[in-house]
Amino acid sequence: MTEKVEYWVKMPFGPIHPGLEEPEKFILTLDGERIVDVDVKLGYNLRGIQWIALRRNYIQIMYLAERMCGICSFSHNHTYTRAVEEAGGIEVPERAEYIRVIIGELERIHSHLLNLGVLAHDIGYDTLLHLTWLAREKVMDTLEAVSGNRVNYSMVTIGGVRRDIDEKKRRIILDMIKYYREVFPQIEEAFLHDPTIEARFRDTAVISKRVALEQGAVGPTGRGSGIRDDARWSERLGVYPDLGIKPVMPQDVTGERPRGDVFDRMAVRIGELWESLELIERALDGMPDGKIKAFPKDNVLYAKLRLMVDGEGIGRYEAPRGELVHYVRGKKGSDKPLRWKPREPTFPNLFAVAKGVIGDQVADFVVAVASIDPCLSCTDRVAVVQDGKRKILTEKDLLKASIKKTREINPDIKGDPTPVGSSCSR
Amino acid sequence: MNDNPANKANEVKEPTKAEKVAKAIEERFPEAEVQVKTNRWGRQRVWVRVPREKYRELMGFIKALDREAHYSIGIEQDWGGELGFLSHLVIHYGDAPAVSLIVDVHAPKDDPVIPDVSDIFPIALQFEREGMEMVGLDFDGAPDKRRLFLPDDFPEGIYPLRLDEKGVSDEMVKNAGHPYYLKGGAKK
Repeated sequence: MTEKVEYWVKMPFGPIHPGLEEPEKFILTLDGERIVDVDVKLGYNLRGIQWIALRRNYIQIMYLAERMCGICSFSHNHTYTRAVEEAGGIEVPERAEYIRVIIGELERIHSHLLNLGVLAHDIGYDTLLHLTWLAREKVMDTLEAVSGNRVNYSMVTIGGVRRDIDEKKRRIILDMIKYYREVFPQIEEAFLHDPTIEARFRDTAVISKRVALEQGAVGPTGRGSGIRDDARWSERLGVYPDLGIKPVMPQDVTGERPRGDVFDRMAVRIGELWESLELIERALDGMPDGKIKAFPKDNVLYAKLRLMVDGEGIGRYEAPRGELVHYVRGKKGSDKPLRWKPREPTFPNLFAVAKGVIGDQVADFVVAVASIDPCLSCTDRVAVVQDGKRKILTEKDLLKASIKKTREINPDIKGDPTPVGSSCSR
Repeated sequence: MNDNPANKANEVKEPTKAEKVAKAIEERFPEAEVQVKTNRWGRQRVWVRVPREKYRELMGFIKALDREAHYSIGIEQDWGGELGFLSHLVIHYGDAPAVSLIVDVHAPKDDPVIPDVSDIFPIALQFEREGMEMVGLDFDGAPDKRRLFLPDDFPEGIYPLRLDEKGVSDEMVKNAGHPYYLKGGAKK
C-alpha cells in the first residue's frame, strides 16, 4: 500500500505586494499551484494611532482619524464624529446631515472607481484602468471644489459640517452627475459584459455565504456573498432612510443570484456607483436651509465636549469598503476620550478572503485580494514604537550609513552630502 | 431623525426589536445588566454587561437568536482596576433598523482571563488576538494566540494600550505622541 505524499510549499506573499500599494504579508501554503492554506500577518503599517489618541483631545482626534487613510478619510472622520455625538448627546442640524450624505457619496464614487481600476490593472487590462481612473478625476476635482482638498476633506466636525454647499458648488456637483451619466454606461458595459473580465472574475475566490457570515465580511464583500446588510440602511443613519437607501445586491446588477466571487463584488460596486449618483441628486434637491453646525466655533465645541461627553458611544457607517465602527468612551470633565477604537471594514474582509481563496490558483490571489478593495493603512492602525535594546535606524542613521558606505567605495568623492536646510526635524 | 415621533408612537403600542432582544436576554440571564439606550436621533442600542462566567453562554444565546448574527468589533480596554472586552454585534438585520447589541465583559487585572468565543463567532478570534497583545487579556481556549499587529521582537509583558506600568513607558517612546505634550494623556 502506498501512502499519499503531499508536497506542500510555504510561500510568503508580501509584505511588498505586487497587487497592492500597501504592505501586508500572506503566507500561502501551496500544493502545486493550488492554495491550501493562507495565514495573514498584519502590522507592517502600524503607526500607533490608538496610542497617539490617548494623548489627544476630541477635536484633535478628528484630524487623526481623517489621516488614518486617504481614500476613506471622510468615512473615518464621520464615524468617529457620530460616536462622539452619541456619547455626548449632540444633535446635528438637518442641513449638515444632507451635506454629510453628499460628501460621503462623492467619496464612495471616487473609492469605487479607484478599486475598479485596480481590479482591471491586476488582470493586465490597463485600458480599463485608464478609463476608470480618468473618470475618477472628475469626482476628485468636484471634491476639491467643494471641500478644498482632493483627500482629507475635513468637512465633518462634531455637531455638523465645516463648509456649506452653496449654489456654485451645487452647480459643480450637478455638472459632475451629468458627466457620470454619460461615462458610467461605458464603464458598466466594459466591466459587466466584457468576456475577458468575465472569464477572469467569474468563480474566482468564491467566498460562500457561510464563510462570509463566519468571518463577518462587510460591505461589497459581504453583499457579494449574499448578506443583505448596509450600515447606512440597517442603522437608519441620519437622513439616509428619507433618501431611499437600499442595500445593493449582485442580483440587482447582474440579474443572477449571488455567487460570492470577484465578479459579484465588482458588480455590487457598479450598482453602488449608480445609487450614489441618485442619493446625491436627491440630497441636493431635498436639502433644507438652516445652520450647518451645532456649535459655531471650535473653542465653544471644545468647552462643550468637556461637559457633555459622559459615557460610551458607537458610530456605525457604511464606508466604501463596508461597515465601519468607531467606539468612544469619555468622562465628564476630561477633554480626551478614555478609549477610542476604530474597526475598519478591511479587517474582517481580509480574513474572509483568506478563507475564500483556498482551493484557488496562486495566480488568482492578487485579484482576490484586490477584490475586497483592501485598505491596509486603515487596518494596521494600532500601536507602537520600539523596544529598549534593539537599535532601530531612523532616517538620519540611514543617511549617515549611506554616506559612510559611499565614502568607503569612493574615498575621493567631492561635495558635502549633509542635507541642506531643516528638511525633517526628526 | 425624522422617524423620531413615529418611533415613539410605536414604543407605546408594542416593544421595538431592540426591546424584545433586551427582554429575551434579561429573562434568560437575570445576572446580566441590560439597558436599552436611545440616542439623540432615535437609534436604540442594547447594552449588556455580563459576568465572565456567563459570557460564553450569552454569546451562544445571541447566535441562537439569530443564526446570521454579525460580530462587528471587539474592543479591549483598560478600565483602571479591570480589563474589559466589549463586543458589538448586529442582529436581526433582515429589515431596518437592525438591532445593535453591545456586550461588555470585565476581568480583574490579576486574573485577566475571559473565555474565548471564536467557535461561536470565528472572526472574534482576530479581535481576541488583538486584545491579548494590546492590553494583556488572556482568552481561555483561543486556538491561536500569536501576535497579530505587533512585531515579533516587541518586548514581552509590555501592552501598548495599558494605562498602568505595563504600558509603553516614556523611555520607549521616541518622537511619538504629541510633540509638545508627551506626558500626561490618559495616564493618571
